[in-house]
Amino acid sequence: MDEQELIAGCLRGRMEDFRMIVERYSAPAMALAMNILGNRDDAEDACQELFIQVFRHLKSYDKDRSFKNWIYTILYRRCLDHLKRRRRSAELVKKMGRETVMTTPANPGHSHPPRSLPSGLLEQLKAKERTALCLWANEGYTAQEISEVLRCSASTARVYLFQARKKIKNLLEQGHVSLQNG
Amino acid sequence: MSRCKTVELFYALVPLKPWRGNLIRRHVEKCPRCLAGLASREAAGSLLVQERGVNIGRPLWAEVESALVADSGGKRMKDQAFQSSVMRRWGWAVATTFLVVLVTAFLLLRDFRPERIPAATNVPPRFELEYIRVSGQPANAVVYQPQGSNLIVVWAGKNP
Ligand SMILES: [Zn+2]
Repeated sequence: MDEQELIAGCLRGRMEDFRMIVERYSAPAMALAMNILGNRDDAEDACQELFIQVFRHLKSYDKDRSFKNWIYTILYRRCLDHLKRRRRSAELVKKMGRETVMTTPANPGHSHPPRSLPSGLLEQLKAKERTALCLWANEGYTAQEISEVLRCSASTARVYLFQARKKIKNLLEQGHVSLQNG
Repeated sequence: MSRCKTVELFYALVPLKPWRGNLIRRHVEKCPRCLAGLASREAAGSLLVQERGVNIGRPLWAEVESALVADSGGKRMKDQAFQSSVMRRWGWAVATTFLVVLVTAFLLLRDFRPERIPAATNVPPRFELEYIRVSGQPANAVVYQPQGSNLIVVWAGKNP
């Protein structure tokens, strides 16, 4: 069924049409979320939040814009929220670790989320760079399309992409990345 | 091929982000050394999670659907609560209006309906007071009615 027909069906309250949208976009959205967040659990949470938001805000979707791009823009925002939350909880764990260091000296005081991405990628690339890289490498997006998702100028999107590609090249040359996809 | 330092120079010397971004982009697109230092699409893709490699562990649609149903259920309950409170308010407003209309009609009809006048004839033509006491003692009382008036003034004073 045509995407615009599905959207129109959703706007008329047809849940079956929305189920088809969720099924159509689950895999690409999960791939992008995993590449931004680096782990499956957070990516699944982000995707669930994404589709709930899509359903709620479908009325505000501009039909002249790419639907996939609109979905990715929302997903990118959800992922940034997850990263913020993760940073806050890591800070809290670090603080608590410092306070309990007398009783549990073995506690390093910080947590590493389970990763499905090569660790170098998460550590060296910023979220914007990972997003730009994923959209470019996986989706074949142009700088203009990336800029729409990141809400920045096309020129800035090109710089993010350039930085990401440069860092990846260095990581590959130095052998600092190993494939752990899954 | 030696590394190009131009981009690093731009970062060090150009503080303005949009201008710096433009300079970097123009340079990188034309500089073979910079282009050689960038990972290809395939190399980048090999490190990233791919759509075809995604295996969603959770029943995503079921979770989304139940969240939306719970959301709409909550909304419906809110709507119902709002509707019942509106209905209650309307009920009170209608009942109050009805009561006001009833009382007004009663007062108007009592004062102006001619058939009510005969009822007044039952009232004894004389004004009577059996007893007036002030401070528990029989009072020194004067009753006064001006001629041609229905007004009756009763003056009661304490007995000396
Ligand atoms: Zn260069």
